[in-house]
Amino acid sequence: MAISEEVVKRVAMLARLEIDETEASSMAQHFDGILEHFNRLQELDLEGINPFVMEGIEGTPLREDEVRPWGNRDEALRQAPDSDGDFFRVPSILGEEDKI
Amino acid sequence: MKEEFTPVIGLEIHVQLNTKTKLFCSCSTDYIGAVPNTNVCPLCLGLPGTLPVLNARVVEAAVRTSLALNCTINHITRFHRKNYFYPDLPKAYQISQYDLPIAEHGSIEIAGDDGSVRKIGITRLHLEEDAGKLVHSAQDGRLSGSRYSFVDYNRAGVPLAEIVSDPDLKSPAEARKYATRLRQLVRYLGVSDGDMENGSLRVDANISVKCSDGRWGNRTEIKNMNSLRALERGLEYEIKRQSRLLARQEEVVMETRHWDDSKGITASSRSKEEAHDYRYFPEPDLPPLILPDDYEDGLKSDIPELPWDKEKRFKEQYDLSDDDILTLTENAGIASFFEECVKAGGSARRSANWVRTEVLRFLHENKISLEEFPVKVSDLAEVIGMIDSKKLSNTAAKQVFEALAATDKSLGKILEQSGIQTGGIGGEDLRAIVLKIVEDNPEIIDTIKSGKDKKDKKLKFLQGLVMRETRGQADPGEVVQLIHSMIEQ
Amino acid sequence: MKLYELSASEIVRGIRNKDFSAVEVLRSSLDRAGSLEKDLNAMTAFSSEEAMVQAASVDEAIARNEEPGMLAGVPVLVKDNMCTKGINTSCASNILKDWKPPYNATVVDLIENEGASIIGKANMDEFAMGSSCEHSAFGPAHNPWDTDRVTGGSSGGSAAGVAAGYVPLSLGSDTGGSIRLPAGFCGTFGLKPTYGMVSRYGLIAFASSLDQIGPFARTMEDIALSLQVLSAIDPKDSTCSRRQRPVFNSALQRESLKGRKVGLVKEFSEYDLSPDIQGAVNKTLRTLEDAGAEIVEVSLPVTMTSGLGAYYILAPAEASSNLARYDGVKYGHSEPSDDLLNLYLKTRKAGFGDEVKRRILTGTYVLSSGYYDAYYLTAQKVRQVITREFNAAFAQVDSIIMPDSPAPAFRIGELIDDPIQMYMIDVFTLPVNLAGLPGLSVNTGFSSQGLPLGVQLVGPKWGEMQLLSQGSILEKEFGSAKIADGGEKR
Repeated sequence: MAISEEVVKRVAMLARLEIDETEASSMAQHFDGILEHFNRLQELDLEGINPFVMEGIEGTPLREDEVRPWGNRDEALRQAPDSDGDFFRVPSILGEEDKI
Repeated sequence: MKEEFTPVIGLEIHVQLNTKTKLFCSCSTDYIGAVPNTNVCPLCLGLPGTLPVLNARVVEAAVRTSLALNCTINHITRFHRKNYFYPDLPKAYQISQYDLPIAEHGSIEIAGDDGSVRKIGITRLHLEEDAGKLVHSAQDGRLSGSRYSFVDYNRAGVPLAEIVSDPDLKSPAEARKYATRLRQLVRYLGVSDGDMENGSLRVDANISVKCSDGRWGNRTEIKNMNSLRALERGLEYEIKRQSRLLARQEEVVMETRHWDDSKGITASSRSKEEAHDYRYFPEPDLPPLILPDDYEDGLKSDIPELPWDKEKRFKEQYDLSDDDILTLTENAGIASFFEECVKAGGSARRSANWVRTEVLRFLHENKISLEEFPVKVSDLAEVIGMIDSKKLSNTAAKQVFEALAATDKSLGKILEQSGIQTGGIGGEDLRAIVLKIVEDNPEIIDTIKSGKDKKDKKLKFLQGLVMRETRGQADPGEVVQLIHSMIEQ
Repeated sequence: MKLYELSASEIVRGIRNKDFSAVEVLRSSLDRAGSLEKDLNAMTAFSSEEAMVQAASVDEAIARNEEPGMLAGVPVLVKDNMCTKGINTSCASNILKDWKPPYNATVVDLIENEGASIIGKANMDEFAMGSSCEHSAFGPAHNPWDTDRVTGGSSGGSAAGVAAGYVPLSLGSDTGGSIRLPAGFCGTFGLKPTYGMVSRYGLIAFASSLDQIGPFARTMEDIALSLQVLSAIDPKDSTCSRRQRPVFNSALQRESLKGRKVGLVKEFSEYDLSPDIQGAVNKTLRTLEDAGAEIVEVSLPVTMTSGLGAYYILAPAEASSNLARYDGVKYGHSEPSDDLLNLYLKTRKAGFGDEVKRRILTGTYVLSSGYYDAYYLTAQKVRQVITREFNAAFAQVDSIIMPDSPAPAFRIGELIDDPIQMYMIDVFTLPVNLAGLPGLSVNTGFSSQGLPLGVQLVGPKWGEMQLLSQGSILEKEFGSAKIADGGEKR
């Protein structure tokens, strides 16, 4: 069961990772190899196994609702690759109007 | 045969919870008007190495809201990551809930279009974090033509409760009523401002249309309806649009559309090639939230009388019109004000009227909230009581009201200064005044005594003097009686 | 004896005793590191000035007869995936190459509050993804025992720094073996604590449900000491357990293992272990037996056959999500672009190395629509089975002996072109992370080629005390870890 380069390129776009033809090809090969290990897992008897245990565990702790200002936002803005005054700045969003 | 198209509508409402701090960090949630990127910290900026810690008050607010919506609370509930790339999402994933939301299977009643009571199912209520804000650089704020976008993370991480209805709503009007009811509820509970204009309440709709010949159109998601009116208009438009397509035997494309209020249409949002593959998986940085069995009990006392219960009680307790009741109970503070007024002695009808007209008008005109209303409810109740017992005319009362609102003088002072004393003048006080007038006018008394007062002209003159002295607060008949009794002596 | 040869505990005692000053110890450490770094490349950054300030304040405290801290004057190396405020924290990646965090990781605050001086950041595999410390934007680290060989990874620099005597103590992180493997390859002690024992706040995440921070040291006393400091409860990490921590050094007193049972995994016979490693395992078992323990055979069938598959689904899945934030918008490397999509695509292309890209793509794939059930969910189920197998085994035994790896340190470049072969190196270590258990790597000696031979002790959850007592008994037999004298070339 070979993973096509098309699939690799689609996955790369999902991950916002630009890859060239060589990388796509070698990644497809890598997938083939690693998927062998993954597919072997299907041979196990996993009937009735709950993938997530939620009993008898320490539940997530809760934090009190008190404001604690950080006080270092200037440093964060200074580290921004691109900024303008109080804002982080990014290049225009081509055609992503649905994110209104 | 003419085809009929029946809309099937479900609403997803995002409620911004008004806790002091964000969902997973201790930054302030007070972002409106704040300088950009000041309510931020390494966590809500998505800096490497940071970890989320859940806000206890958010959980309380979510559970209280869920209980008011008759939901079942899941005592084991957990968070999931929703992964996608966008500049306003600092971690490139949103922490949300997926398969085990904090509450499910609730319901809320609204008035149907035919006046009947309609029960609308609530599929679930879950918690998630808000994204930051993107500002665009074109002069008119539009996206196209701008070279840059600017990101403000103040809002990133603010807690949201997403309330999803079953697709039970049958018309745009019903949808509006549902949204209105939910907005009212969150305000009653004090968990949110519920303001569609500033974004603390956001409504998205899922809508499809069923044809009378049995065909089902695909459903679309409609976003960007920023007011109740826009919600109703947007749905009306979309129903027409979908019905037209189906009437022409065309397909409704399953997609997300946004409402354009200025053009009055919905338009297709650019569909992404890969659609939305959010790759949900359980949030590994947060173990499941385990609520103790008695968690709800602790909160039940924090749930105030709910709007529908208050309406019912008002109907039983006060002799008011349905319209009055709805207006008075729309806002819990106003309802409370009304009731205090009645408790302090004002009649129900008149208090209702005054609250509905004078009080609400004043608040609206001066753009203030009830908390900022300068008139004490006890004062208002007293004024209303005086109208009830005819000690004040309506016109006079309105003047008193305006004076109460405009100045910080006491009610007594205002009444005194405008020549109106509370409770009228009688008894010993009146006696003393009459006596003085009588003593000051011995010639007139003689004239009356000797029977020479033709047509009671002199008597009336004395009465007039007394009335002037008492600023009209004495009873005229009583004054004459007193003059007579004093003359006889 | 040179100051840099002292253990952390000896340094603390010596400083309290005013035998020497913290500044003197620090200078010895910095000189040592400085002289060997060109050969070993164990560090990505020095923080000498900050360390000096720390050391000076310890000396001031001593002068005023004030409490100087449990790690007073101890020079420490911190793996470069732990945030050190104002000091480069790059994860050995181009995407964070010059990033200076505006805050400290909890563990950094903890050790500094106890008087430790951080001399710099340790080299590693990029974003902790690797088993050899060759996948680093700063170039590979070299094994102090044979500089043509790998240190092991991903905490390669942390291990090498201790093995070469730069510092007596270093911090690493372990997601699939990244402390235990390099400890074995470099001949030091290395502990991966129980998941939830040590705060992850400020540890730049690779796989959130698997990552744990732990110490490298040359003595068991130092392992216990550092664990005590590191394991403080931290409310900033929701996965950090609130259970009370024991007093770890009391476990070091134990002389006898009478009544204790040590597990030997039946399935090892199916593995192609190098004779040296096999010998090390046997030696270890004999020593524990001599101390009174009973050796019991335990079976971990699914663990041994399926651990690798489950791990390489789950770890990359979490990593693909954890690394999505590196997008050139808020910090780190950014490729100038005319539109947003290209900003993302080009920044991430330029910023990530090949192994990181492989894992991001694998992780994205196994989480994507249509594959989630078959891969991610299946892997989580396998993880449960593995956990149950370990639990069943620990119902019979107090600890389980495993190798760190099938063979000692391999040559630099030997496996770099075969990622899957590289993954197989972790076959004995990664199941321990899947089950959230503690694992201790103990140095048992050297191979005929002079390469360190490490053996792994695995305990049940919260079973650190058992590991510490067994480790200390083994230390009495095999000796404390030695310092590689000058970066031996073979």
